[in-house]
Amino acid sequence: MTYSVQFGDLWPSIRVSLLSEQKYSALVNNFDAWDNVSAKLEHLGAKDFVKEAISPQELEPESDLSPPPSLNYSPNLRCFTFPRGDISRFPPARLGSLGLMDYYLMDAASLLPVLALGLQPGDTVLDLCAAPGGKTLALLQTGCCRNLAANDLSTSRTGRLQKVLHSYVPQDIREGNQVRVTSWDGRRWGELEGDTYDRVLVDVPCTTDRHSLHEEENNIFQRSRKKERQMLPMLQVQLLAAGLLATKPGGHVVYSTCSLSHLQNEYVVQGAIELLANQYSVKVQVEDLSHFRKLFMDTFSFFPSCQVGELVIPNLMANFGPMYFCKMHRLP
Amino acid sequence: MAALGRQVCDWHRLTALSWACLSRRTPHLRERRRMSPSLFCKLTTVCSGESLQESSCVRPKKYVLDPEYSTQLVPCLHGEQRTRVEPKSSELEKVISSLQDMGFDEAHVNSLLSMQPTVHPQQLLDIISEFLLLGLHPEPVFMAMKKSPQLLKLSTVQMKKRSSYLRKLGLGEGKLKSLLHGCPEVFTMRQRDIESVVKVLKEKCLFTVQQITELLHRCPAVFQEDPSKLEYKFQYAYFRMGIKQRDIVRSDFLQYSVTKIKQRHMYLERLGRYQTPDKKGQTQIPNPLLKDILRVSEDEFLARTACSSAEEFEVFKKLLEREEEESESHVSEEEEEDEEEEEL
Repeated sequence: MTYSVQFGDLWPSIRVSLLSEQKYSALVNNFDAWDNVSAKLEHLGAKDFVKEAISPQELEPESDLSPPPSLNYSPNLRCFTFPRGDISRFPPARLGSLGLMDYYLMDAASLLPVLALGLQPGDTVLDLCAAPGGKTLALLQTGCCRNLAANDLSTSRTGRLQKVLHSYVPQDIREGNQVRVTSWDGRRWGELEGDTYDRVLVDVPCTTDRHSLHEEENNIFQRSRKKERQMLPMLQVQLLAAGLLATKPGGHVVYSTCSLSHLQNEYVVQGAIELLANQYSVKVQVEDLSHFRKLFMDTFSFFPSCQVGELVIPNLMANFGPMYFCKMHRLP
Repeated sequence: MAALGRQVCDWHRLTALSWACLSRRTPHLRERRRMSPSLFCKLTTVCSGESLQESSCVRPKKYVLDPEYSTQLVPCLHGEQRTRVEPKSSELEKVISSLQDMGFDEAHVNSLLSMQPTVHPQQLLDIISEFLLLGLHPEPVFMAMKKSPQLLKLSTVQMKKRSSYLRKLGLGEGKLKSLLHGCPEVFTMRQRDIESVVKVLKEKCLFTVQQITELLHRCPAVFQEDPSKLEYKFQYAYFRMGIKQRDIVRSDFLQYSVTKIKQRHMYLERLGRYQTPDKKGQTQIPNPLLKDILRVSEDEFLARTACSSAEEFEVFKKLLEREEEESESHVSEEEEEDEEEEEL
C-alpha cells in the first residue's frame, strides 16, 4: 500500500490505529424504548455525538438565514460514543421492552454518510449495496423512508441484512411495502429503476482496509488477488453510475467506502460523474460538505486534503473509520 | 563541693566539644590509628589545659568503662540514637576498635552495630572483614550494608562460597563492587536460584561465557529474575525484534520490564517505524537504535523515536494491556478445551 505517500506524516498514526482495536458506537433503536436506552447509555458515560454536534449549531444567532442545503442532515439519529481516548466497550445489545434489540453497535463513522444524505420525511430511498445492514438500519431509524429498497449482490450477505431488520425493525414496517430487500446486480439499476429515488446511498464494496490489515488469509492485498483489486475501481464506478441513474432528477446521492485509497474514493466519484456526462448527458454536481465536516470535527479526525468528499481517518484518540463519503446532486 | 560539681559538668562539656574539635582537625586519625575512648580521653586532657587540673580527682577511666556513658557520649557528638547491645562491653569495645581500624568512622560504626541487633558483633565484624577482603573500601561496604542489612546475617562460610562462585562466573574483585551496589541480594540468594538463572542464559539463550559475565556485571538485577520470564524476554528480543545476543548484552535489554519493552516496541512496529528483520537480517526501513527505544525517557522516546503524541501513546498502552489480558485468557480457555478433549 502506498498510503505513506498519500498521507505523509499522518500515515504512522493512521497505521497504528488500523492495527489496534476499533472503537464502536451504539446506534439507538428508535423502534424500541429509545429514551430509556439513551438514559442507560448516558449512565455508562457515553454521549450522543449527533446531538452534541447539532445542538450548538441550532443556538447560533444567524437563524434568520436558512442553512445551506449541505447542512441538512438526516433527522432522528441517536448514536452514543465514549469520549476521546476512552477505550471502554459497550455491553452487547439486548432485547428491549418491545421485543426488539435496544441498540446496534457500529463504527460511528458509518453513520456520517447516512447523516450527510439528508433524508426528509416521505423520501423514497435506495441503498444499493446494503449488506450487512448497519447503514440500512440507520436509514430506517430516520423515520423518513416512505419506501426503502435495500439491495446486495450477495445472497448470503442479504441474509445477514434480513436478520438485522428482523431484530431491530417492527414487523409491520418490514413486511409491508415499506421495505424491499433484493439480491440483484447493483450495476443494472439504471435500467431497472431509472429516475426513481429521492435519495440513494451507494456504499460500495471496497478493500475494507481495516480488516485487510489484520487478516492473513485471502487478503485483498495479496498478490493473487491483484487483478481483483485493480478491477475494483471500475466496479465501483459502475455502481455509482447506476445509483446516479436511479436517482430522480433533483435528487441526491451519497457515495461511501471504508477505504483510504483515492483510487477507490475521489477517482471513482470523478469517473462516475464524467461517465454520466459523456454517456448519458446527465449532469451531476458534487456538494460541498465542509460545513458538515466542521460539525463533527470534535468526534472524528478528518483528512484535510480530499479533492472531493470527506474522509474520516482513524486515530488512537478516536479510532473510527476509515470512511470516505461524497454527496452529489443530480441536477434537474 | 558544689563548685567541684560544676567543674565536673564543665569538664564533660569541654570533653565533648574537644572531641568534636579533634575529629574535625584530625581526620587522618580516623583511618588507621587506634581511637579507643581511652585514647581520646588522654588527648582531651592534654587539650583542655588548666580546667582539667582541677578535676583530676575525677577519674576518666571510670567513665570510659561505663557502657552507658559511652553510649551517651557519641550521640551528643553525632546525634545518633543507639540501641542496647547485649554482649559484654569489652567484646564490644574490641569490635568497635577493629571496625575503626578498618577505616569506619564513629557514625558508621554505631550505625552498623545497630542494624541487626540479633547478630553478634563478632559475627558482624567477621562478615564485614570478608567484604573488605574482596577488595572493597569501607564506604561502599557501609552503603551496601545500610541498603541491605540482611547481608550482616551471612556467615563467613556462605560468603566465601558465594564469592568464589561469582569469581568463577568472571565477576572478580573489580566487578563485585557494582554487584554489591546494584544487587546485594546476589550474596544472600539461594545457590540454586542463581544457578537456574545462569543455566537459562547459557543453555536456552546461548550466551557465551563472556557475554554472561558482562550481562551479570551490567544488569545484576537479572540474577533475581524468574528464569522462565528471563527466557521469554530473550525470545522476544531475538525472534520478535531480531536482536542478537551481542546487542542484547550491550543495550542492557534484559533489565527492562517486559511491559515496557512490549509497549515501546509494538508501538513502533504498528506505527511502521520498526520492522522485524527477515531471514537475511534485512529490513525495508532502518530500525531505530535500541538505546533510542529503551534507554531514553518516555518523553524523548515519543518526541524523537516514535514521533507521536503522549495522549496517543497512553491510549495505546491501555489497548495493549487489554489485548494481552484477552489473549492470555483465550489461551487458557483453549488449553482447558484441549484438556477436556484429551480426557474423552
